[in-house]
Amino acid sequence: MAIIEARSLTKVYGRQVACREICLSVEEGQVFGLLGPNGAGKSTLVKMLVGLVYPTAGEARVAGYPPGDIRGRRQVGFLPENFRLHGWMKGAELLTFHARLASLDGRAARQRAAGVLDLVGLTGEGQKLVANYSKGMQQRLGLAAALVGDPRVVFLDEPTSALDPLGRRQVREILLALKEAGKTVFLNSHLLSEVEQVCDRVAIINRGTVVASGRLAELQDGPATVTIRLGGLTEELAAELRRRYPSLQLEGDRLTLALGDREEIATLVARLVAGGCRIYEVVPGRNSLEDIFVHLVREGEQACG
Amino acid sequence: MALFTFREAWRKKVALIAGVLTLAFLILYGTGLHFITRDMVNTVNPAANATSYYAMMQAITLFVMGIYLASFLVAGLAILAAVGSVAGEIENGTLYTLAVRPLTRRDLLLGKFLGLAAMLVIYAALFFLALAGLVYWQTGLIIPGLVPALGLFILEPLVLLAVTMLGTTRLSTLGNGVLAFALYAIAVVGGMMEQIGAMMESTTATIYTGVITSLLLPADAVYRRLVATVVDLMPAGNGQDLPRFVNPQMTLGPFGSQSTPSDLMLFYTVAYIVVLLALAVYSFKRRDI
Ligand SMILES: Nc1ncnc2c1ncn2[C@@H]1O[C@H](COP(=O)(O)OP(=O)(O)OP(=O)(O)O)[C@@H](O)[C@H]1O
Ligand SMILES: [Mg+2]
Repeated sequence: MAIIEARSLTKVYGRQVACREICLSVEEGQVFGLLGPNGAGKSTLVKMLVGLVYPTAGEARVAGYPPGDIRGRRQVGFLPENFRLHGWMKGAELLTFHARLASLDGRAARQRAAGVLDLVGLTGEGQKLVANYSKGMQQRLGLAAALVGDPRVVFLDEPTSALDPLGRRQVREILLALKEAGKTVFLNSHLLSEVEQVCDRVAIINRGTVVASGRLAELQDGPATVTIRLGGLTEELAAELRRRYPSLQLEGDRLTLALGDREEIATLVARLVAGGCRIYEVVPGRNSLEDIFVHLVREGEQACG
Repeated sequence: MALFTFREAWRKKVALIAGVLTLAFLILYGTGLHFITRDMVNTVNPAANATSYYAMMQAITLFVMGIYLASFLVAGLAILAAVGSVAGEIENGTLYTLAVRPLTRRDLLLGKFLGLAAMLVIYAALFFLALAGLVYWQTGLIIPGLVPALGLFILEPLVLLAVTMLGTTRLSTLGNGVLAFALYAIAVVGGMMEQIGAMMESTTATIYTGVITSLLLPADAVYRRLVATVVDLMPAGNGQDLPRFVNPQMTLGPFGSQSTPSDLMLFYTVAYIVVLLALAVYSFKRRDI
């Protein structure tokens, strides 16, 4: 059974629909990326999954329990988006407190707190008051707090928004380490490169609706372009191709055209060879996540607009 | 969770500031007490003679005045301590990380309540004992009914704490503060009117005002009961050179307790705290964070 499962989750704030019938499932051990433009409903969805916000309709299960169930919460860590930590505590003390809330006892809690402090790169800062931490340090501390209970599932809402490039890299390494350890990570982000580098699966959400989801590789495979360097293309064949592929462009010996899907590359090449062309190079244009993202979001706007 | 809240109040210097202010108040009160009682006969044995009977009455009056003012401070602290404990923490984003811990919302809220209640109980008890101590030091009077009075004095901030905790689960910090202080003011004024009404023996209307405001927020009622506990232990007249009809309550005027809240009211107060807390838990459970 999937470790995170959302069935038709809907959240309506007044007249604003933040999430509309969202269905998702994430298998244990995956790093799942949720992408979407600002105001798409990402944070709302995560808050519903951790039991902070009650859905208007639909239901969810995390680690086998409905969100908010104490037994489920023991296995869940959450880094919220706009959060602050209690400034009157010292970093290490705060983490120890969180570890105790996560049902570790005194000594184990202190050790675990020191451990996660090292993990997020705050070694030696534990004795400072949290109020005196910089924004990035607070975010690191928040991540440490999310991980302090050694959760099976971690929800991270834009964990790197305040971090320097080094910090982002560290977070990426932490995510990969979590994955290595068999944990499930649910990552909210609009930093596409970040998602591209760590996620196995992604979903893209726009205006509260999931517009695409799947393995990253599958998404990137959709409609694609291909560039072929070739010689001996006859006028006749070129005209025939132009009829089939309206987007065809010919520059010197380079032929670029858009295809419905990747399988068509093979058919195309076969046709060209049969037509007497010599093929030197075939370069499939990789869809970057950004292309997909922009494409889907635009499409959504047209549909609504 | 309770310990955490208690430590939070401690570290944020709530205790320190309250302590310093209270100390200032006590010094002021003590000085006043000293000068007022300087010329008083230092024997407060009511059975002895008329002078010492009046001396005792005066000492008690001064004590009750002190308690009256102290209850304002304690009530203010109760409201301020709890006013943003949920809404404020949501506004500044500190509640998120706590609210996802394996801890029910009920435990979270009750933990906060207990932490603040512990602080208030300690504060109120120290305050009360300091006042009683000052009175003893200056006049030699041991406040009659000290222990039940102490209990009642501690109960009052708990009533306000419960109201404020309920408010903070739904209202913004500012809104809740305004509401809590307004309710408190209404209760105090209502109580005052009830006493004046009772004094002028114009029974019904004004007394009912008092009863109704007390039902709304039984803080003032607790204070009145406290006064009654202390004052009614004093004999009416001493039976020798003072006629029995001298009623010590009369000297207290609107600060006294002519119309004393019943045991039922006391029971109501405790039930009030419990019910409001239950409502607060219910309301907190249902809200989005
Ligand atoms: N408490 C709330 N009350 C009313 N509307 C809300 C509330 N929270 C969110 N919304 C609305 O729900 C929609 C989705 O918000 P959400 O915070 O989930 O977006 P997001 O995808 O996280 O955006 P971002 O990338 O900026 O973080 C927005 O239109 C927002 O205005
Ligand atoms: Mg968000």
